[in-house]
Amino acid sequence: MAELQPLTGYASVQAWFEGLHRHWGGDPEHDDPERLEIIEAFCRFADRDPDAVIAECLLVKDGEKRIRTKGRQRCADLIAEFQSGVEGPRMKRAKWGNTVRSFLIHNGIMLQSGVQGGESGS
Amino acid sequence: MEFKEVIGSRRSIRFFEPDKPVEREKIQKMLEAARLASCAVNAHWAKAIVIERDKLPEDKLEKMKTPVAALNIELAPVHIYWYADLGVVNRVQGSRLKELVDVGALAPTHGWSHKFVDELVYPQILKPMTQGPGYPIAAATDCGVAMCQAMLTGVDEGLGVCLSSFIPNIAKELFKVPDDWVPLYVLLVGYPAESAKGGGQRPRPPFEEQYHYGEYGTPYTRDEAVVEELKQAKMIQEPAQPNNQERTDEIKRLAERLGLPL
Repeated sequence: MAELQPLTGYASVQAWFEGLHRHWGGDPEHDDPERLEIIEAFCRFADRDPDAVIAECLLVKDGEKRIRTKGRQRCADLIAEFQSGVEGPRMKRAKWGNTVRSFLIHNGIMLQSGVQGGESGS
Repeated sequence: MEFKEVIGSRRSIRFFEPDKPVEREKIQKMLEAARLASCAVNAHWAKAIVIERDKLPEDKLEKMKTPVAALNIELAPVHIYWYADLGVVNRVQGSRLKELVDVGALAPTHGWSHKFVDELVYPQILKPMTQGPGYPIAAATDCGVAMCQAMLTGVDEGLGVCLSSFIPNIAKELFKVPDDWVPLYVLLVGYPAESAKGGGQRPRPPFEEQYHYGEYGTPYTRDEAVVEELKQAKMIQEPAQPNNQERTDEIKRLAERLGLPL
C-alpha cells in the first residue's frame, strides 16, 4: 500500500460521513474523533487504503455495481481478525470492529456480523 | 388481542431479546395455526423444522450466518425453517381430497365424489400438475398462507416474528431435509427487544395502486369510513415516519446494548 493520504480526502470516507450524517445527524468527522483513527488502523492492518477496501467488495458487471461476495467475506473475516487483535476490553474491540463495519455499510456494502458486545456478545 | 389488531400490530422484528427464551407451547400454537390454514386440494405442502438456537452447536450456528443474515439468526432464540414438500401430492394421491368428500366439505352438490378424485382429479390434474413449471409456485403460495397464520399467532402470543431468507444447502445438511422439500423462508421468533410499535406501521404502496375493480387499471376505491373503522379496531395504526427521532434513539440504544454498528 502506498502511503495513506489524509483520510477525509478519500471518496469512500466522504461517503461514509455523508451516510452517517444523513442517517444519524451530527458531525461524523468531529463528534467521535476515534472514527478516523480506527479506519486508519484498519487500513494499515489490511494494507489497503479506504477506497481499495471498498473496491475489493464491489465489482461492476454490465455497467451495474454489484457486491463481490467473496471480497465481502474476506473483508468481514479481516474485520473480525482486526477486532480480535485490538487491545482493551470487549466493548472497545466491538467498537473498533463495528466502526469498520459502519464504514462498509455506509458505502453500500451490506454486512452483518452478529452481536459484538452487550450481554450476549463474546 | 382482537384479530384486526393482531394484523395491525405485526412488525418484522429485527431486534430480538437474545436471552429470553420462547415458551415451547407458544411455538406449538403457531404450528397449530399453520396446520389449520387453507390449502389447495388439501395437500398441505407446508412443512417446518423448529430449531432452538441454543441447542445448535456453535459451529453449526456459525455456518448458518452470512454477511447478510448473521444478526437475526444470532438474536432470535427460535428459528422455524419452512419448506414446501413437493412430494406430498404424489404420495397421498388424492386421499386428502377424499377426506374432504367424506366430511362433507366437498359435496356432490359441487360435483365431488371419490370416483371423480380417483379417476380424474389425481391422474389427470394433480399428477400432471406436479410435472409443470408452475407447481412449486402453487405449493409455495399455499405455504405462505400457513406461514402467515403461524406468524400472526406468534404476534397474538406477544412474540416478535420476522421472515427471512436462509442458506438452503447448509440447512439441508444440518437439519436432514428431504430432497423433495423446497426451501422457503425461516421464521425467526423471539421476544422483541424493540418497542411493539417499532416506529409505526411500515410504509406500504397506496391502496388504489395495489387493488383493482372489474378490470386492471380501475382502482378499487378506498372508502375513508372503512379506513376510520379499521383505525378504531387498531388494524390501521400510526404509520412510520422518516427521521423519527424516537425511533432513531431506540435504534441507537439497541445498537449500544447489543454491540452493533451504526
